[in-house]
Amino acid sequence: MKVALKIWRYDSSTGQRALKEYEIDAPEEATLLDCLDIVKDKRDGSLSYRKSCRMMICGSCGMRMDGAAVLACKTGMYDIAQAGKIPVISAMGNLPIVKDLVVDMASFWEKMRSVEPWLQPGLDAATGKENIVSQAQMATVHKESLCINCGCCVSECNSLESDPDFTGPAALAKAMRFVGDPRDGNAIERLEKLSGQHGIWDCTRCYFCQERCPKGVDPRDAIAKLGAEAMKFGIDSDMGARHAKWFVTSARTTGWLRETELVPKTQGIVKSIKETKFALDLARKGKVPPPFPPHVAKNQKEARLLYKLVKEQGVSGAAGIVQAEKALGRIEFVKEAEHAKHEGASK
Amino acid sequence: MVYVHGVEAMHDVLVIGAGCAGMRAAIEAHDAGANVGVISKLHPTRSHSGAAEGGINAALGNAAEDSPEKHAFDTVKGSDYIGDQDAIEIFTAEAPDDIYQLEHWGAVFSRNDQGKLAQRPFGAAGSPRTVYAADITGHVLIQVLYEQLQKRMVLGADRMKVYEEYFAWQLVINDGRCTGVVCWDLVRGGLKLITGKSVILATGGAGRIFRTTTNAYACTGDGMAMALRAGLPLKDMEFMQFHPTTLYPSGILLTEGCRGEGAYLINTNGERFMAKYAPNAMELASRDVVSRSETTEIEEGRGEKGCVFLDMRHLGAEKILTRLPGSRELAMTYAGVDPIYEPVPVRPGAHYHMGGIDADNDGKTAIDGLYAAGEVACISVHGANRLGGNSLMETIVFGRRSGRHAAEWALSSAGNGGRAPASVLTDAERELDKILSVQSGERPWQIRQDIGESMLENFGVFRRGEKMEAEVGILEGLRERFDKGVHVEDKGGVFNTDLTSAIELGYVLDLAQCMVQAGVARKESRGAHARPYDYPTRDDENFMHHSISTWNHEANAPVLSTKDVRVTKWEPMERKY
Repeated sequence: MKVALKIWRYDSSTGQRALKEYEIDAPEEATLLDCLDIVKDKRDGSLSYRKSCRMMICGSCGMRMDGAAVLACKTGMYDIAQAGKIPVISAMGNLPIVKDLVVDMASFWEKMRSVEPWLQPGLDAATGKENIVSQAQMATVHKESLCINCGCCVSECNSLESDPDFTGPAALAKAMRFVGDPRDGNAIERLEKLSGQHGIWDCTRCYFCQERCPKGVDPRDAIAKLGAEAMKFGIDSDMGARHAKWFVTSARTTGWLRETELVPKTQGIVKSIKETKFALDLARKGKVPPPFPPHVAKNQKEARLLYKLVKEQGVSGAAGIVQAEKALGRIEFVKEAEHAKHEGASK
Repeated sequence: MVYVHGVEAMHDVLVIGAGCAGMRAAIEAHDAGANVGVISKLHPTRSHSGAAEGGINAALGNAAEDSPEKHAFDTVKGSDYIGDQDAIEIFTAEAPDDIYQLEHWGAVFSRNDQGKLAQRPFGAAGSPRTVYAADITGHVLIQVLYEQLQKRMVLGADRMKVYEEYFAWQLVINDGRCTGVVCWDLVRGGLKLITGKSVILATGGAGRIFRTTTNAYACTGDGMAMALRAGLPLKDMEFMQFHPTTLYPSGILLTEGCRGEGAYLINTNGERFMAKYAPNAMELASRDVVSRSETTEIEEGRGEKGCVFLDMRHLGAEKILTRLPGSRELAMTYAGVDPIYEPVPVRPGAHYHMGGIDADNDGKTAIDGLYAAGEVACISVHGANRLGGNSLMETIVFGRRSGRHAAEWALSSAGNGGRAPASVLTDAERELDKILSVQSGERPWQIRQDIGESMLENFGVFRRGEKMEAEVGILEGLRERFDKGVHVEDKGGVFNTDLTSAIELGYVLDLAQCMVQAGVARKESRGAHARPYDYPTRDDENFMHHSISTWNHEANAPVLSTKDVRVTKWEPMERKY
């Protein structure tokens, strides 16, 4: 098949940037990576990109196609070529470009190391037997352990765009892999650190990381799990934590979010008073409801019962989120097993 | 070109390659007190060990009764009796503690109902002894080893330095001793000399010699070729394992774990054809046996598009989705088939090279201060055919052992000194200039493709004397084309993979020549070396020995000799499954 690509070329030694178009012949099963190989072999040997396994496990070939991060080896070109589209290929975002499609991953790994990504403490020496841990306990970190460090999530992260020091989705997912591991003895210290500046509460919850992760790690869910674990241990002094807590309190008591109380509960009285003018401006434009009468749901009893029901299950912290993910079919194998069961029944 | 050549650093122990064997060696050398440098042409987590799927063998006895002795016997038998038995006994005896160590470091292995490490059945194994993490075992190991490497980078008092994306090019041999390596700094450009009192090669395999392979683009046999050119003997080069279940057309691996969990192999008539070839073990016969059976079925017309089928439908969605989710994703992405509902077309593909640098049980080679571990080495644990699950285990056991010994040697009085003359850099610069000065002519890809095609055709699952002879000539022709100078278009210093892939092509060519020469000379069928048309049986009287390949620089060709197999207690028997 004929495949056309536009590739953003970049030469760091001259600082030159150019969008170049290439047209090639490729087999129908060709992936984006296969097509880049053909361009490099037969059109222009100076094109640079990373590759290795070509089977979605080494994490080398993260790049952007039409502005969104993909693994080149996972991206089939048939439909794109048939539709006559000419996709634009460029380097990943939020990381400096070294050459063409190759980015400098140094900050990615520095952040990874900042969460101390190794099991702690003291379990290092083998004792002649394994630790006994149930598969269910390990399921808490199942998705996080799938991460191949490709950087697609970091590329798409909105928080990183405004705060380059934000720890970022990949490193935070890695942190969850240890916080949620029953063999790790340092969860509280980890959570205290992660709840600080540039940590879990700086995520804007845009879910781009989750949408773009090629391995189903769901980094945003991992960050939510870290938040839930932090709360469980009473690590909630950060404004973000207080903000989240107020949502729960408000919903539990009156079944609805009481927006006007949100700011003082999150920022404290003194800071809130400074925001009075801003609040009045918002109110004038109809952007906040009036504080009186308070925002109250018609059936408050239902909200309280719901809260009680969840509480009684005794599944708190990250495990609670894992349970919800299962219930909502957000974990691949649960969803697919259900689907297959139905298929079987209908046959 | 804007880049600087120079001496980068000196270490006690220098590890080249950062897959499972390299990282395990580096960790051990560090913990033994050495200052360690690790060079890798890929970032460590990109290494191809991470693509290992099915598992890692150790006789823990968690699923059924087992012992290191049984594991050793299965391995000796699987090797078709040219594995070195003392090495195999060490290997199986030390495997369990190495697994516990990995678990204590945090490896996310799958668990059984008692919360112990789960173990699954694998080919040619007398007991279910394959420890696994669903079907991403290699990924889990790479992650845990890199976690431990990072721990030492952060807390290790500057005794652990990783040179990411440094392409190793030439070993430095000075006064009969290896003292470092000249490499190309991929990101910044420039030749760099990095020295070590001892050097461990852990660069992995060479599957890229064949067109259909499970191996990553990076698997071009760099360590073996560098060692060969530095004067080291390579061992058992003819034994390339063809994995029975790779996807069409990409050659991407579907784990043996699929069959371990109960999948069938069927032909176009829907028959489980393994009943004819291995009535007891069926689909879980040894890999060489299964690949030959598949090839026979295909050649006799009971295949489709050169494939037979891996049928998992009866396993049910839940088992597939919990134990084999990665395999399902691979089949869906690269073959467009969902194994829950349809059989997957598969065929044999080059997977693992049993041969490699001749090394002893501590990874030591014939050159002082030079060690080898993992797929690049040939200790030999695998002999003529490797058992599934034994290669990951080999990387850990012998990575650790070579790391320990290389550190002890470097820190002993024998290891003192170890300098590299500055002339090695100027020599390398001259060679580099020669490569880059070629302004026209053939691009490397055509030669690379011709090697892959012809090796698959003439040196595949079944080997014919005349075809192997023909391949000798084909490779000589390809060498002529290569030696004329291939055209590297990229002349820049930054991330110049056009340059490194041209160098890799030279590595591949050297090794292919060694393989075919050894294959022609082995006039018998043993393990992965099958000659059904002229020498269909094993000939212990004449060929129960290792093949040894060295490089003759004047003739620019390999030279073949032999070496005895070390036997402890298992006399050769007929191999049936």
